[in-house]
Amino acid sequence: MKRLIAALAATTCLTAPALADDEKIVVGFATAETGFMQAYDKPAQDAAMIRIAEINAAGGLLGKQIEVVNADTKTDRAEGAKAGLSVIDAGADMVVVSCDYDFGSPAALAAESAGLPSFFLCAESIKAGIQGVGPNSFSASVLAAVQGATMAEWAYTKKEARTFYRLLDTWTEYNKGICDGFDWMLPRLADATLAGEDTFLNEDASIAAQITRIKALPEEPDAIMLCTMMPGAVSAIKQIRAAGINSMILNGSGVDGSYWLSAVPDLSNFFVPVQGSIYGDDPNPEVTAFNAKYKEATGGDPSTQYVYPGYVMIDVWAKAVERAGTVETSAVVAELEKMTGEPTLFGPRTFTSEIHHQNQARYLIVETNAGKPGVVDEWTISEAIPVADLMK
Amino acid sequence: MSLSVARRTVTTPILLGLLLVAFALLALVVGSKPFNQTIIDIFLKVIFVVGLWVFIGNSGVISFGHTAFACLGGYIAAWTTIKPMLKGTAMPGLPDWLMGMEIPFWASAVLAAGWAALWALIFGAVLMRLSGIAASIATFAMLAMVNSIYSNWESVTAATSSVVGIPIVRSIWPYLIAALIAVFAAWAYGISRHGLALRAARDEPTAAAASGIDIPRARLIAFVISGAIMGMGGALYAHSIGIVTPDTFYLGLAFITLSMLVVGGMGSLSGAVLGVLILSSLIQILRWLEAGIEIGTTTFALPGGVQEIALGAVMILILMFRPAGIMGNRDLSLPRGAASDSQGQTGPKT
Repeated sequence: MKRLIAALAATTCLTAPALADDEKIVVGFATAETGFMQAYDKPAQDAAMIRIAEINAAGGLLGKQIEVVNADTKTDRAEGAKAGLSVIDAGADMVVVSCDYDFGSPAALAAESAGLPSFFLCAESIKAGIQGVGPNSFSASVLAAVQGATMAEWAYTKKEARTFYRLLDTWTEYNKGICDGFDWMLPRLADATLAGEDTFLNEDASIAAQITRIKALPEEPDAIMLCTMMPGAVSAIKQIRAAGINSMILNGSGVDGSYWLSAVPDLSNFFVPVQGSIYGDDPNPEVTAFNAKYKEATGGDPSTQYVYPGYVMIDVWAKAVERAGTVETSAVVAELEKMTGEPTLFGPRTFTSEIHHQNQARYLIVETNAGKPGVVDEWTISEAIPVADLMK
Repeated sequence: MSLSVARRTVTTPILLGLLLVAFALLALVVGSKPFNQTIIDIFLKVIFVVGLWVFIGNSGVISFGHTAFACLGGYIAAWTTIKPMLKGTAMPGLPDWLMGMEIPFWASAVLAAGWAALWALIFGAVLMRLSGIAASIATFAMLAMVNSIYSNWESVTAATSSVVGIPIVRSIWPYLIAALIAVFAAWAYGISRHGLALRAARDEPTAAAASGIDIPRARLIAFVISGAIMGMGGALYAHSIGIVTPDTFYLGLAFITLSMLVVGGMGSLSGAVLGVLILSSLIQILRWLEAGIEIGTTTFALPGGVQEIALGAVMILILMFRPAGIMGNRDLSLPRGAASDSQGQTGPKT
């Protein structure tokens, strides 16, 4: 036992905390390097590293180079808290936490109690921010509710959809968030009606009962708002189409990507909101340039739009630091909260003292036609979703 | 008689306690926040595994379901310590008196122990009539049941969403004290007549029953005490990271605590505590190696994920060479002849 303790002490000394110094700015990544969250965290983190490399190449931030420290959360909450504390001990000036609210919040709470700003890589729940962590916490992505609201308003305006069917997979908060946004938007659309609604579970092998109820409607609905995510989404979509229902299917960003399309051959009339296009047809050529850079850095194209929030995160934070002239938390947070429609590669971003998340954002609409996805339009909801409606 | 048994065996909890204090002091000396959190995590595991041992070690019935009591305890922390305003939005279905309650963390831990003990009594009254594998499966069913209820009762537990706002306690001392309480409570139960009766029933059920031992009752007592310890641990776990979700207290925690107990040795309290300390230290060392260690100018690092594999391999090796766990049936004691056969157990002396 003595030897064990000695070994413990020895290992600790080797990883003794680096002292914060004034010559550099440190960004701490308390994210998943192993476990299932790694699939979400790694791409966004790679994008963040690209922005950091760009800033460093351009002379750094406030004349200092940005350094990065990492700690693995192992896709575990208790480890997440430790990872947060590790990067704080290593002198982090800003803490980046896991993509998902549930797995990122322990590290974000650690940053909050140390008085440091924290950013969720791509969480889309209102709780990932002031409401669920504290006044110094932000999310780099856009609320799930905005995705549902965007799809509803866009389909209503551009596709003249009038009857909607709401199909919710109750598995995650994210799914519920999409449908909450849809629910909020629907009454605002004159003469749009809800033809029916139903729920299922992501793991359900068959949604035959739900499909029978859609088929039993006197008329096929114009659009089905499908609030779900991978992996169950593929099976649900396949079953809806196999049953001969040809209504347009509206989704959240969670089903973006072409990796699964071979499972539903010749899928058409299928719409996804994305922050930027991975298909090489983004209206902003800089996004396509970023995709090339990403491929160069990681050896592969971005597989979904969830790469992009990592880039946005470093971008807005660095701008706030530049404007504040310091990395001091309250000054940086104040600068972030001043951002209104701040332009980024992936659309304007706004933070206020009430919400550190996007409750209105520009989305590109990707249509999959005969199995080929491509950008067809862009849409920003006409009105931001009020915080009170997001909190219910 | 019982006093002399106490005197004869008290060295075990004292030695284990000193070991825990040594870990706490180590955290103090190192002074790094993540290391402090690691030691807190180890103390929590000690509480859980000791809680498991009180039932499993003494009754010989493997329980897969004790994590359910940690879940009950964890949510007590959420219900009683979160600020009423936050509670209202996350868990609107709580009764008014609970909604307005805001008590310190230690009180929530005590309450959690009581709440878990109550449910252990209710479940145990039914389950303790079963023996062997049937009892094990029934405890597993209990875990699945509690998990399902807590994952779906939206207005009271916020379903699968994380419940945040639980005050975070990062000082190591409350966890040390709780672990010491667990160790001493387990020891006191072990040497009590109930503990002795239960071990007799474990080794020779027929003879024990013939000697007048009411086996279901003896098991129930152990079940309630171990449930209380698990409940306390669950509440403290919630305070250590500041959030609870039902899946925190599900299969992952159930299996890691059970394997720590098996590797340490189910037959003795020392096995339970040392199992945690040794495996946790091993996990920690492997994690440091994964993160990379600089030796001279080169960084030596294991590929990510090796920790889990290596841990599994080490556990298999330990069980190959010591099938009864590291400690077997023996308890830690000062080398003093008869005293090593503590708690009236007749384990092989090696």
